[in-house]
Amino acid sequence: MTQPIIRLEDISKIYGSGNTEVRALLDVNLVVEPGEYCAIMGPSGSGKSTAMNVIGCLDRPTSGRYYLDGVDVAGLSDTELAHVRNRKIGFVFQQFHLLPQLTAMENVMLPMVYAGISYNERRQRAEEALTRVGLANRLSNKPTQLSGGQQQRVAIARAIVNRPVMLLADEPTGALDSQTTQEVMAIFAELNTSGITVVMVTHEPDVARLTRRIVWFRDGQVVHSHLAPSELSQTAVFS
Amino acid sequence: MDMLESVKMAVKTLTANKMRSTLTMLGIIIGNASVITMVGVGQGAQRYASEQFESLGPNVLFIIPGSDDARSNSFDLPRNLTLEDAEAIANQVPSVEAVAAQLQTQQNVTYRNRTANTLVLGTTPEFTTVRSFDVERGRFFTDSDVQRNTRVAALGSELAEKLFGTANPIGEQIRIRNVSFQVIAVMQEKGAFLGNNQDDTVIIPLTTMSNRVTGNTSPYGTEVTVISATARDEASVNAAQFQISNLLRLRHKVTTQDDFVVRTQKDALTIVGNVTGALTLMLAAIAGISLFVGGIGIMNIMLVSVRERTQEIGLRKAIGASRQDILVQFIIEATILAAIGGVVGTAIGIGGVTLIGATTPLKAGVSTTAVILAVGVSGTIGLFFGVFPARQAAKLDPIVALRSA
Ligand SMILES: Nc1ncnc2c1ncn2[C@@H]1O[C@H](COP(=O)(O)OP(=O)(O)OP(=O)(O)O)[C@@H](O)[C@H]1O
Ligand SMILES: [Mg+2]
Repeated sequence: MTQPIIRLEDISKIYGSGNTEVRALLDVNLVVEPGEYCAIMGPSGSGKSTAMNVIGCLDRPTSGRYYLDGVDVAGLSDTELAHVRNRKIGFVFQQFHLLPQLTAMENVMLPMVYAGISYNERRQRAEEALTRVGLANRLSNKPTQLSGGQQQRVAIARAIVNRPVMLLADEPTGALDSQTTQEVMAIFAELNTSGITVVMVTHEPDVARLTRRIVWFRDGQVVHSHLAPSELSQTAVFS
Repeated sequence: MDMLESVKMAVKTLTANKMRSTLTMLGIIIGNASVITMVGVGQGAQRYASEQFESLGPNVLFIIPGSDDARSNSFDLPRNLTLEDAEAIANQVPSVEAVAAQLQTQQNVTYRNRTANTLVLGTTPEFTTVRSFDVERGRFFTDSDVQRNTRVAALGSELAEKLFGTANPIGEQIRIRNVSFQVIAVMQEKGAFLGNNQDDTVIIPLTTMSNRVTGNTSPYGTEVTVISATARDEASVNAAQFQISNLLRLRHKVTTQDDFVVRTQKDALTIVGNVTGALTLMLAAIAGISLFVGGIGIMNIMLVSVRERTQEIGLRKAIGASRQDILVQFIIEATILAAIGGVVGTAIGIGGVTLIGATTPLKAGVSTTAVILAVGVSGTIGLFFGVFPARQAAKLDPIVALRSA
């Protein structure tokens, strides 16, 4: 039996206390197996981003246990968490978060700098990653010289360049038009096919449909989890 | 992450914000330049003043009028030394070789239609020995000139040129305060002594000065401004100081506080050393403060920079930068700013000191200690004032940092 890549056990995240207390997550249980491609959906404020941040080791839960690839994250130091973020997780944000003073190439090389990889290997791998997302001809462009879709593709290249086990994306297409959304989703699909676990938050049913499982959040809890419609039809055919 | 990468990254960030980096460095540049210049000037002044006194020779003594109180409380010294005091010293103090009393005043000196306002110095023939100041042409006046109130004058080289140009002044008549004098000598070039140009001066017999120019002679003695003396040799300087003091105490009937002081060259050097040393220290302290302020400037800008780059820091953390990576990054940025500022400031300081040394009599020189100190201090300042902002940056929570838009 393979080990789940993400296992959340009774995860809660509570902001503030007393009257101002906000329960962003309440006893969330979630398991994601290696190679899954899953979408998190739910109303605004339902805790999707909070959950993603916990899964991405950007934030620590108030209570509960989180096993990442079998490791209890609560026992890791800040430095060890930084290492986990660097090696095991690729994060893609709605707002891209590229460093404006760096070229596409340099932005993609950045995670490898923190991984202590040599300059030559960094160049080579960054070029590969950018080629993979279709930007082989934009290596030395600064973010301001790229379209939104291209910037998001640079961000994806940066997320995968350290060969993470999972790719987390919080509304990656939220700032893109439908045309570029399709292009970006094609990249996610391709990455998932090549074996990377992908978890993304989205508000768009059209985007969610392109994944293989949909997890529904409401009021800080997982209320429902089912196969995506396209998967449903496929399984329906096979069963 | 290795150091070279950190430095490259810092350079990239700093060059991306050239304006801000330059302004940050400015404080350190100014601080460093001023430390080096000020210390250079201070030590230059010290060296200059010391050399002036050293040039007098180790045997020289000065007898200055006025009690300690009077000297420290007023600019106008009481004139209670007389020509007779000088004569007594010459005749009665065995360890003294030569004594020259001096009376001086500023007067207009005229030759035909040319006039110069210059220092008129009345003295005795021993002046040339005591101050090692010889004639270039002609002869200096003698004791008999002094006794007979002769109206003869020796011109400083510069004054001679001012009044006579290339013509030979010897034998010509000049007028000092409408009294005519015959020029009998032109002095050698001597240079300045503590800012007084000794070549722009006219030297006449003390008695003539007293009777004809200042009109200070009274039955009670001919007052003088200062008495210079030389001891027989270096070993007898202290004896001379002691004997002169005692003699004058008797002559002035001193019962409580001396109304004069006898200073040796060594005393003078010590005083000069103390004064200029304090001056150097003060200049260095002022410059040091500006260096410190420069450091605070770095801290200030770094703090602003941390705030401005909160998102960047969050992103770096999200993709794997550890606290230490961020800490090191910001400290390196601050240190690079301080170090470059330090080097540029040092270069400017060295330039400034060289310029001052070349254009003023101050023997300003670059002090290696000052350079090492300034560069070391500015580097340390970068490190020190960089640490606080860097810690602020390092402890940012990645998620909070990312969210701050
Ligand atoms: N730092 C915080 N301090 C206090 N409350 C917070 C904080 N971050 C999130 N919350 C609250 O936690 C709840 C869940 O927020 P979260 O951002 O996870 O929602 P979301 O599902 O991602 O919403 P959206 O779809 O609008 O992005 C919200 O009520 C939000 O106000
Ligand atoms: Mg959200």
